[in-house]
Amino acid sequence: MSNPLVRKLEGFGPLSELDRTVLERISANAQLIGPRIDLIREGDPPDGVILVMEGIACRQKHRANGARQITAYLVPGDSCDLDVALLDRMDHTITTLSACRVVRIPSDVVRRLLKDHPTVARALRMSTLVDEATLREWLVNVGCRSAIERIAHLFCELLVRLQVVGFASEDSYEFPVTQLDLADTVGLSNVHVNRSLQELRRKGVIELKGKTLKILDRQRLKTIAEFNAKYLHLGTRAAA
Amino acid sequence: MTLKTQPVQVATGSSDHESRLVFEDGLLVAVLVQLSTDHASDAGKWFLEAGFGRADDPHAPVFDNLDDALAWIARQLARDVVQI
Repeated sequence: MSNPLVRKLEGFGPLSELDRTVLERISANAQLIGPRIDLIREGDPPDGVILVMEGIACRQKHRANGARQITAYLVPGDSCDLDVALLDRMDHTITTLSACRVVRIPSDVVRRLLKDHPTVARALRMSTLVDEATLREWLVNVGCRSAIERIAHLFCELLVRLQVVGFASEDSYEFPVTQLDLADTVGLSNVHVNRSLQELRRKGVIELKGKTLKILDRQRLKTIAEFNAKYLHLGTRAAA
Repeated sequence: MTLKTQPVQVATGSSDHESRLVFEDGLLVAVLVQLSTDHASDAGKWFLEAGFGRADDPHAPVFDNLDDALAWIARQLARDVVQI
């Protein structure tokens, strides 16, 4: 399988052979990490840039009463903030949702990469803008969309993001996220998530078999979600 | 505190219909819905569909039976709320 970091960044503009080689080198030797492992916790000093090469990880915040909000998914090719080394302490926790392959890139390696490879630096900055745009869209999701719309929107978004890095077919992808994780992602109770999934199944829009999500009626899913992939800034790649 | 319940059917947009309105001193404080077989291992349990005032909690647990749900609502209503 081709390198998801290279695939993702290439989408923001052509990379030279040297750029690709450097990206492949820094993303080599990804470590296999089991599900539900904190890669870094809120309050910890930052420890390099965390890059996901396989699986799904998330950013999350916890309340004192145990309630949790997942604020982002990191899919293959995604990393935590490039400039995280500027912070004294992490303001959120990064956790694997499924088993993941993860690379921790030392901050000085990231600094050199940004300095010596301007095209890569530009693509990474684009990637940061997309992360911020995605966060805004998720905020709209929890603030302005109904239960079924929130889930439909997330499923549309993941199809596009995973297709870009080669982890989704035309209509299917692995969705190794539990119903409880999904509830904490879209700010709903487990009961409401279950009802919404059942409704999407009943309408013949999706099929969930084990951990594989198949989108049976992409147009209907997009209509339910009012999904428009523009915020992902993929240019011509946004086929979904 | 005495809680009174009234059977009702709620259109939840799912197979979960069997429900109870919960009143405290004549005021509606909560709507409990019994989960249908759509919810696998939670089927038959009770869900806080809506809680009003102190009974509002987006992270309320699912209750094994109606008595547990009413006891939880009673505790919520009795708790001290930080005054703003």
